[in-house]
Formats: sequence, C-alpha cells, structure tokens
Amino acid sequence: MKILEINHMRKHFGDLEVLNDISLSVEEGQVVSIIGPSGSGKSTLLRCATLLETMDGGDLAYLGKYAARDVSGKAVYASSAELRSIKSSFGLVFQNFNLFPHYSVLKNITEAPILIQKRPKDEVYAHARELLKQMGLADREDAYPYQLSGGQQQRVSIARALAMQPKILFFDEPTSALDPELTGEILKVIRDLAAQHMTMVIVTHEMAFARDVSDHVIFMDGGVIVEQGNPFNIINNPQQERTIQFLSRFN
Amino acid sequence: MTITAMILKMSEGLGRTFSIFALTLVFSLPLGLIIALLRMSKIKPIRYIAQVYISIMRGTPLMLQLLVVAYGPFYLFGFSVARNKLIPIIIAFSLNYAAYYAEIYRGGIEAMPVGQYEAASVLGYSKMQTFMRIILPQVVKHILPSITNEVITLVKDTSFAFTLAYQEMFSIGKQIANSQTSFMPFVIAGVFYYVFNMLVAFLMNRLENRLNYYR
Amino acid sequence: MKKTLAMILVLMFVLSAACMAETVTFKMGFDAEYPPYTYLGDDGNYTGFDIEMAQGVCDILGWEIEFVPINWDTKLFSLDAGEIDCIWSGLTIDVIDPEAYTLSMAYSDNSQMILTKADSGIATIDDLAGKIVGVQLGTSADILLSGDCADLAATFGDLVRFENYNVCFTELMAGSIDAIAIDIGVAANKIAEYGDEYVMLDESWAAEKYGICFRKDDAEMCAQVEGAFMQLVEDGTYIALAEKYGLDTSALCLAAE
Repeated sequence: MKILEINHMRKHFGDLEVLNDISLSVEEGQVVSIIGPSGSGKSTLLRCATLLETMDGGDLAYLGKYAARDVSGKAVYASSAELRSIKSSFGLVFQNFNLFPHYSVLKNITEAPILIQKRPKDEVYAHARELLKQMGLADREDAYPYQLSGGQQQRVSIARALAMQPKILFFDEPTSALDPELTGEILKVIRDLAAQHMTMVIVTHEMAFARDVSDHVIFMDGGVIVEQGNPFNIINNPQQERTIQFLSRFN
Repeated sequence: MTITAMILKMSEGLGRTFSIFALTLVFSLPLGLIIALLRMSKIKPIRYIAQVYISIMRGTPLMLQLLVVAYGPFYLFGFSVARNKLIPIIIAFSLNYAAYYAEIYRGGIEAMPVGQYEAASVLGYSKMQTFMRIILPQVVKHILPSITNEVITLVKDTSFAFTLAYQEMFSIGKQIANSQTSFMPFVIAGVFYYVFNMLVAFLMNRLENRLNYYR
Repeated sequence: MKKTLAMILVLMFVLSAACMAETVTFKMGFDAEYPPYTYLGDDGNYTGFDIEMAQGVCDILGWEIEFVPINWDTKLFSLDAGEIDCIWSGLTIDVIDPEAYTLSMAYSDNSQMILTKADSGIATIDDLAGKIVGVQLGTSADILLSGDCADLAATFGDLVRFENYNVCFTELMAGSIDAIAIDIGVAANKIAEYGDEYVMLDESWAAEKYGICFRKDDAEMCAQVEGAFMQLVEDGTYIALAEKYGLDTSALCLAAE
C-alpha cells in the first residue's frame, strides 16, 4: 500500500527553482533516505510534503487521499478540514526539536492527541509513558525541555510525533543540531523504529546510517532527483557524476 | 488641618486612584493584544490603521486624549460622556495604554521562533490553538518585565485624571496643599504612590517567579 | 378598555406630579484651588465665599446643591457638556462672551493688583519694567496679561505662569520671581496669611468684575439665582461672609437698599 505519493512536485522561491518535477512514492514499512548537498531542495521537499510550505504544482497524497492535486500545472489544495485530517497521518521530527518549552515532557507528548485527535486521556497517557520507556526517558516525564540534553530533547520530540500514531514519520536532519557523541542515541532510536517497520522518510547527512537503515536512497541536487535506488548501490557504487562528487566528500 | 486629617482626606481619593489603575489594566491589556494582532495582520489596510492608531496614541499627550474623549463626543454629536468622569478617564487611559502594550506584545510575538509555529502546525493545532496555547503563554513570560514597567508608570499617570477634575488622591492633595499652603500633601502623595508601586512590583515579581518554572 | 385608559391616565398624572415635585439639583462648578472663594476647608469639605453664597441661594430657592470641582482650564467645556449648571468661583465675567453665555450681575468688583516683597523696591506698576512677574495659569490676571494687557506684560522681564498661586508664592519667597499679578481678593487674603513681609501696590492695573456664568438658554435660572442672591445682600449675609473670608469689602459692588 502506498503511504505517500508525490507526483511532479514543483516549487520555486522567486526566480530560483527549488524543486523541479519531483516524483516519489513510499510503501508501507519502507524506510527512504534523502541525501544531497545543502541547497539541493531536500528540506524543501520535506516541508512541502508536511504542508509547512505550499508547492506550486504537482500532486501530494497520503493513503490515497489527496492533500493537493495538480490542475493544469497548478497545485490545488484540499479544504482546511481535509488537510487537518490528513495531517494526523504523518509526523515530523525537526532538526531543532521544537519542543514546547513551557510544557513538561509528558504534556508535550499528550496535548495534541487529547486536544486535536480527541482521544481518551487514559489511553493517551498510557501510550505516552510507553513511548517514553521505549525512548529510555521513563523517569523524565515531569522534566521541562530545558532540563534535558539535546539527545534527550530529540527523543522526546520523536515520542511526541509517534504519540499521534502517524502512518509515516519524516525526519529533517534529526542529528544535525546534536554533538557527535549524542547522534548515536538518536540513530539507535530510528533503527529500532525501522525494526518495528515504521514507515519513514529521513533527510540526513549520515551516509553510513542511510545505507544501513534504509530500503531506498534518493540523491537530490539542484532541485531534481539525480539518482535513486538500492542504498548499497547508491552509496558505495554511484553511477552519476554529481553523486560521485558529493559522496567523495564523505569518504 | 493635622497631617492625620490630610492623610484621611487624601485616602478618600485613593479608591478612585485604584479604580483608574485597575479598570485601565482590565481593558488595556486585552485591547493591546488585539491591536498587536491587527498591527501584524496580513491585510495591509488593517495593519496600516493599527499603525496609525499606535502612532497617534503614543505621539500625543495623555492629557489631550483625556480632553478629546471627555468633550469630543459632546461637541461633535451633542452627546456627553462626562457626567460620570470615570468613564471618559477609563476610555482614554485604556486606549492610550493599549497602544503601548500592543507594541510590547508585538515585540514578544515577533521574537517567537518560527519552529514553535511549525511544530504546532504539524501536530494539527489550529491557528487559534497555536496562538492561545503555544505562543501567548511564552510571550507573556518574555514581556512581563516590560509590562511591569508600564504598569508602574500607570500608577503614577493616574494623577492625570485631574485634567477632568476627577477627585482622585492627587487632586485632593493639591486642593489641600492650596488651602493649607502646605507642602505636606505632596509628601503624602509621594508616599502613597511609592507604597502602591512597591505593592505592584512585589506582585509582578511573584508572577515572574511563578513563570520561572521553564526557560 | 375604558378602565385601562383611565388607569393609564391616572398613572401618567401621578408620575408627572412626582417628576414636578422632584427637587431641582443645582450643580455648582468651581475651582477647588481658589481660596478664599472656593477651596477645601480644614474639615475636608469645600468652603469659601462663593460656596457659602451658593449654598444660601439654593436654601432660599429650595434647590439641592451639588458641589462639582472642575478643571479651571476647561470650565466652559464642563458647562457646555452639562457637567455643571454654572461656573461660580471668582469668575471674571469680563472675559466671557456674553453672546454665547448668560452672565449674572457682578457681585464683586475685583481689581487686578501687584503683590511683591516689602523690600523689593517695586512701588509702582512702572517699576515692574524688566522684572519677572508670576501669575496663575488661566486666572483673569493671566488672561488679561496675555490679551488686553499684553502691552504691560511686554514691559516685564518675563511673565511666568504657574499652576496655582501657591506655587507662585513659593517662587516669590525663594526670590525666583519679583512680583505676582493677582486678583485683589486673593492678594488681600495672602497678605493676611503671610504678614507684612509682603505688600500690594496701591494702583491696580486692571479692574475686573466677578459674576456667575450660565449656559445661554438658562437665563431663567440666572434670574432666579440673582433674585435669591439679592435677598442675601439685603439680610447682610453677603457682607458678613465677605468679612468672614477676608475679602476686600471695597470690592463688594452690591448694596442693600
């Protein structure tokens, strides 16, 4: 089953073509990594997919439901009520965590499921505690974000996204804001999620990680998909000149 | 007139001084927020009107605004709001202070990192929910010291009510000073204002401490 | 049907009778910082020559009096807007436009004087040339020196306007001004209070008349007040109060027949 489907996505900022005819789809249980130099459009792709930016043209669908449809070259978005219901099918983990500083860890995780999804409180709290346990933060539910390390904050933000029971989880460079010794703990959490067959799209600079965890790797540059396929082939044996050049910097 | 008699007589006006203070806060704090939001509106004319409003309210003396509110309606429409002088005073003070608060709110709101809006958006919060639950509580914490400043100024500004001959504490003090040819009422007024402001500073400080549970 | 109509008529009659029986409330507007005419007394109640006269007038007319302190700078606004029914507070009626307002007869001829320190060396109006003269903002002295008597003011070194005469006096004591331009009644009162360190020049530089100002369409009210006022002149209250408040009795221009 296709969880996410993007057809011919286009986006420009002024004269700059940031995304040029991007198409991709993600199957249930699939882990897709997007790599590429900064400015390649990979973050914009993620932001368009999570409705933080509006694309200019193309289709965007979750579970077969269209968030936006291309009508003669222009993206026409669904009503805000439909978009709100579509939003509950995906989650996003930010580079800078973006936890709510005035909420405790537990409230950060539970408010949206209770307030937005109107799920019963008991169930939401039980689920949140289970997620915190899974993240190794069972004893920190009353802490405030400022009392946590960067790695702990990122784990809370992953728990916050998971508490919404998304069908697909996006990661926008989830380790870029962390000290090198803290990236490992986040990568481990993502690996565990992959093992549980969580559907994920990960924008990352961690090449070895992308190779090990993903089912599919996409290399983007200049707003287009340059090369994609099996992780091992793309990262260890790239065919395109631009991919080779990019990866050579990491070895 | 003994000093005790002076203090007692001036205390009669203290209730009025406090009414001006409290009612102005009750109306100007929410009004300031609304004006701040209009000032940041995406619709250009609304933004412009709010900007002009703020610039007039901050650019003209409060005393003049008091006179315009009290007597403007009468000369324009033959309709007097000055019977109960507290009404024009509260209107003028609230309109004036709301302009100052609006700019404080705006500074606080604009300083909020965009990531907070994005996190809320992805979680499905509506614009209203995002503002009321995520943005505003954090803004309040950040702007509290500036608000305290304005609140303390407001305590002292209540004496401007003499413009409409509203018999608040300072007006009565001036009358006693005049009839008794004494400087004492001004000393008493100074002590009253100082104690009032100590109280305000104490309460605002407690509020700040209560919001210090996070950073 | 007829019964109902009759009931309504009776009700209307009773109500209108009740309205007519309601006592008139006379809102007397005054400057609460203008002794000895209108000021806050030692007992914390408003008192003064004008206050007691107005009280006496209302007692005669059977009106209820309400004392409304006003901001002297905006007294005509307050009168126009109906906050008060009259301005009665040592008001110089010469400066009020008689076309726009109803003015009572003058009850005091209030000359404008100069008050100075006894040792100031100022003996005549001409001596004020180059001197610094203080005045209370918005008083008739101020209005005259800014308007009709601007030529005189031009001879001064400077004309300084203060918020009230209390401040004027402090400045005079401190020596930062040389003289005060002031109504005769107020000047006499101040000298009585401060003793002979201060003197009033013999010559007045302008003559002023005190009266009561009403709204244009309140001529009837003005006439009623004038009538009652004359009764107080007749029975001696007028003179007695003037003496009580230390007014210069020579300024009293109304006399019993």
